[in-house]
Amino acid sequence: MKVLNDQVFSSVESIQQGFKDVEYICSKHIATTLYVAYNLEKPVLVEGPAGVGKTDLAQRAAAVLHLPLIRLQCYEGLDESKAIYEWKYGKQLLYTQILKDKLKDIIKGTNSLAESIKALHKYDDIFFSYEFLEPRPLLMALQQSGGAVLLIDEVDKADEEFEAFLLEALSDFQVSIPEIGTIQAECKPFVFLTSNNTKELSDALKRRCLHLFIPFPNAKMEREIIQIRVPEVSERLRRQLVAFIQQVRKLDIKKMPSISETIDWARVLLVLNAEKLDVETVKETLHVFLKFQEDIGVVKEHLPEMTSNAVKEGGE
Amino acid sequence: MEQVLHDFISSLRSFGVRISTSESIDAFRAAELVGYEDREILKTSLSAALAKTAVEEEKFNECFALFFSFNSFPDNETEHILRADSQHPVSPLTRMLISQSHAELMASLMEAVEEAQTNEIKFFTQKGLYTHRILSHMGIDGLDRDIRLFRQENTPGSIQQAVQLQEARDRLFENVRGFVEREHDLYARAPTEDMMERYLKNAKLGELEKSDYDRMYVIVRKMAKRLSDIYSRRMRSFRRGHLDARKTLRKNMAYEGIPFDIKWKKKKIDRPDVIVICDVSRSVATVVRFFLLLVYSLNKAIIKTRSFIFCSNIIEASSVFDDYPVQEAVAKLQTGTGLDIELGSTDYGRAFLDFRKNWLDAVTRKTSVIILGDARNNYGDPQTATLSLIRKRSKRVIWLNPESRAFWGTGDSEMKKYLPYCNIARECNTLSHLERAIDSLL
Repeated sequence: MKVLNDQVFSSVESIQQGFKDVEYICSKHIATTLYVAYNLEKPVLVEGPAGVGKTDLAQRAAAVLHLPLIRLQCYEGLDESKAIYEWKYGKQLLYTQILKDKLKDIIKGTNSLAESIKALHKYDDIFFSYEFLEPRPLLMALQQSGGAVLLIDEVDKADEEFEAFLLEALSDFQVSIPEIGTIQAECKPFVFLTSNNTKELSDALKRRCLHLFIPFPNAKMEREIIQIRVPEVSERLRRQLVAFIQQVRKLDIKKMPSISETIDWARVLLVLNAEKLDVETVKETLHVFLKFQEDIGVVKEHLPEMTSNAVKEGGE
Repeated sequence: MEQVLHDFISSLRSFGVRISTSESIDAFRAAELVGYEDREILKTSLSAALAKTAVEEEKFNECFALFFSFNSFPDNETEHILRADSQHPVSPLTRMLISQSHAELMASLMEAVEEAQTNEIKFFTQKGLYTHRILSHMGIDGLDRDIRLFRQENTPGSIQQAVQLQEARDRLFENVRGFVEREHDLYARAPTEDMMERYLKNAKLGELEKSDYDRMYVIVRKMAKRLSDIYSRRMRSFRRGHLDARKTLRKNMAYEGIPFDIKWKKKKIDRPDVIVICDVSRSVATVVRFFLLLVYSLNKAIIKTRSFIFCSNIIEASSVFDDYPVQEAVAKLQTGTGLDIELGSTDYGRAFLDFRKNWLDAVTRKTSVIILGDARNNYGDPQTATLSLIRKRSKRVIWLNPESRAFWGTGDSEMKKYLPYCNIARECNTLSHLERAIDSLL
């Protein structure tokens, strides 16, 4: 992987700093894993609950490295024609029509069927060459001469067959196309795979990746994130709202508030000109970070004490 | 350092983390890259390369802490300074203890460990053996002889010397034993776990200790995953199929026979639709427990289950599984708390009658009905006609009986009478039996 902004990945600390410059706070754990993955040229399999910034990590990595981000969103039924490559059927048909006369010229001088086929064979693979190849994300990532960041998002949503296709691409950074042959990466892309663990991934796939688990951040880290993303929020409010969210995550609810939702909440409070948390404000803005009616019910039950706890923790 | 990493990986394997060769190569490269200076960074890098799931990460942390804990000879806080003034030429081990040179002791221990090959320890019963091997290699015999000689000298100085040496010997013994214990924890887990698993799979469920349950749950979960995997592969063959030439031709007549719209031969596999009727009286309780655990651990997409439990009367228990996690639900059924069930004497006849009255509609041509029970009806009316009716409506009736075949039909067992109305009747009292039963369903 030869890239412009290579020196960022020369040590764990510089990675942390580099990501901070693009507004992403990454813990030492994340930074170390990225450091190892980048230098060993290994894909990273990122796991963790929804909304902890798994996808964002890849996007920011592309920003840090000044590389294009190529994204492949996985879903059930995704196949190689959508992920790796496809032939431009339309173009092939069109060309055969246009070139009909040309074909006549080619077989003009021949006397028998066998001979004309022989003549045609000279131009055998012309319709199955690079010109007629439509690269999809995986192939595209391998073809980037300057390198790229390849994000394979929610790989657990794809079928088992697709995982099998990935194996070749991830371990050898190459793609086999029967009509052309094997295409090697010009420059190995930096690969991120994310998974929400809806399905156990195959061992073969895991073996080819480094594993990174991102949990919900602790209060200190979450405060840092809010500070860098919504700097207008006052120190006191920041402490209070993070303390509140941290309490909510301890409750037994259907969907935990994610980091992006904490950020949204901070923005909403900012718009509402809230100076500090109070029961009324929280009650009216609960739906910003809670997406199920039942969850809102659960939180409402404990609202007064949670708010006072958060206010206490955040400092008056 | 390479050897250390090697040992670490093999001990990680014995903790039950599966590590392939390519992963260990990654680990080596990662360690080479980040160096050994920063413990946290090293740990993170190794963990990224070796531990690939949350469970494995937990094991990794445990193993890492254990493995890198023992790196120096524990200080013995003795304040007495052993006197070296003695007429006897003392053995090297005695000299090391007298001079309290930890480095030398450590080196000697490591050498002895290498010689004794403690990393091949397999069973906890071997701990004594390995301890002895290490000690004798370090020269414990010489030490013992010296202690004896000091005693025989019988001067106050030499007696004191002997006492102190004895104390030092005890400490040494403790240390070596502790070391062997750690080696055992590091290296001997996998074989023991394997053995336990094999044993538990074939152990009679009724005779299991409560303490084994946790391990059983793990095995059940593994089985469920395996079955799910096999089945999802079968589903796939349904999706692919072969080209159906006849259908394709017929369909494409309209396009002058050019095959635009291609039809595939499809093999349809139904999602098994299962109704489980379980006797929860004490005699079959454990088998039912693990059976339900296995059924409900299977992916919901793969098997559709409704469950009924009965003792004196019958109730539907499916909702319990919707409301609680599987393990909890199973425990709940066992005690019958919060459920409308009478835990009196078992009445198969009444259970079948009630089932017919209330839920017979649920049985369709696609349904497999599984009955789990010992058919001990306390001499009541067996209601074989009802069972026959259930069988006629269903795809098949499978009876799993925890008693072995020889006991069927003895005493108040009505198994012989029920037998003609079952498509399959099996003895079922170990996990392996359960696995086979589920397998035949899918």
